[in-house]
Amino acid sequence: MPNPMANRAPTSVNISRLCRIYSALLYGYPREFRLQYGGAMQQLFRDRCRDLARTPGRLSLLQFSLNLAADWFGSIVRERIASQSVEFLARQARAIWSAGRKQTPRGLVTEWALTIVVYLFATTTLVQAYVVPTGSMEGNVMIGDHMLVDRAAFANPGSLGRRLLPYHDVQRGDIVVFLYPEDIRQTYVKRVIGLPGDRIRLVDKQVIRNGRRLMEPYTQHMAWPPDAYRDGFPTAPEASTTPRGRDMFQHHVIHGEAIVPADSLFVLGDNRENSEDSRYWGFVPRNYVVGKPLIVYWSYDAPTADLEEWSLAHALDVAQHFFTKTRWERTLLVPRSQRAQETGSVE
Amino acid sequence: MPKPPSPRELLPLTPPVFHILLALADEECHGYGIMQDVARQTDGALQLGPGTLYGCLKRMLAAGLVEESDERPDPALDDERRRYYRMTALGRHVVRAEAQRLAGAVTAAISKRLLDRGKPSLAGGRA
Repeated sequence: MPNPMANRAPTSVNISRLCRIYSALLYGYPREFRLQYGGAMQQLFRDRCRDLARTPGRLSLLQFSLNLAADWFGSIVRERIASQSVEFLARQARAIWSAGRKQTPRGLVTEWALTIVVYLFATTTLVQAYVVPTGSMEGNVMIGDHMLVDRAAFANPGSLGRRLLPYHDVQRGDIVVFLYPEDIRQTYVKRVIGLPGDRIRLVDKQVIRNGRRLMEPYTQHMAWPPDAYRDGFPTAPEASTTPRGRDMFQHHVIHGEAIVPADSLFVLGDNRENSEDSRYWGFVPRNYVVGKPLIVYWSYDAPTADLEEWSLAHALDVAQHFFTKTRWERTLLVPRSQRAQETGSVE
Repeated sequence: MPKPPSPRELLPLTPPVFHILLALADEECHGYGIMQDVARQTDGALQLGPGTLYGCLKRMLAAGLVEESDERPDPALDDERRRYYRMTALGRHVVRAEAQRLAGAVTAAISKRLLDRGKPSLAGGRA
């Protein structure tokens, strides 16, 4: 199923966010270059983003990202080399040997240290790579999608990232990556259906939130035999098997509806009949949210077991079938939030 | 200040530098304008990123091919961080020399039947 939301260039909301990330990336450049041209480069970056936002299309976004990455890396190396000619390196080396007698060599060491710090900051705080091994979000996120997760997007209240970086709070319809509450060694990806205070139930596979039937464009249904628990949640508590699921039924199901407690989320997979989600194991604590999918950088058609753990067989498979089994059409796809339409009240 | 190099020493120009000079041939321009013009000239094949563009401009300023302009021809759309550049006499000289050099190469290619006269053919590869 094509994902219509993927064909969008950066929106105005995203632009300021991208600009702030870009201004952080500028710290990779040598100091004098940054001071002299950093402002102009930010300005150019913003102009380019605005133009892209006016001319949508995944291709332009793809090109833009690739160009930018190549430009950032290539020009940093070039400026670094330019600012540190061989002569300069030799002088730095001599200065290191004779440290104490002369001024300490600041330039070289601090500049490279700064680049490494920016890199580490980017990989630990901003983004993290994940692979999706199961099909619970099939339709929007596929088995074998390797994606970067934006860890700063939903920074927890009170965390440092929240003050430093752009963020917005989790909203209904967002795709979120989170630690599986029953076993935090696992990471899951689902869509947010309920925020704290929302009343959720399902009637014949359809979600009813706060008494209103949801029209969900992102779901995918299978012609599987009906299952009272799965399709009519929360009507059959005895089928819930996990401790957290039982806790939900004991304390948070009132008058046939699950009521999302404070600092928690109710999440469902888009592939409704083939998804183990909040219906089974309860709510996701807000601080278990890792982030939101940023971009699919590689999508490879492989079985679940191979994706969960790399094996020699899988490595050989990738080596042999890289070009045929890579889903090129999904490369650099951006999984997007999608809002459900609320239709008339059923109460 | 070192003596500016002679135009001959600067040839051949790298593609980004050549296209930046072409973009500045008509009028002075700010960074984003240069980037758009270069994309137009090359049918989108050469998209200069911020780092490449300003890296080139820095070196071109040092070589005296361009200079920074204080005038703001477009005050309505302006932002104070925008920098405008214009081509120097040396820059004009150099871009003309480079264009002549390329024209010589094109003539040679035509004589070898690699190009149709007047309209470059892309069928055999990238022109």
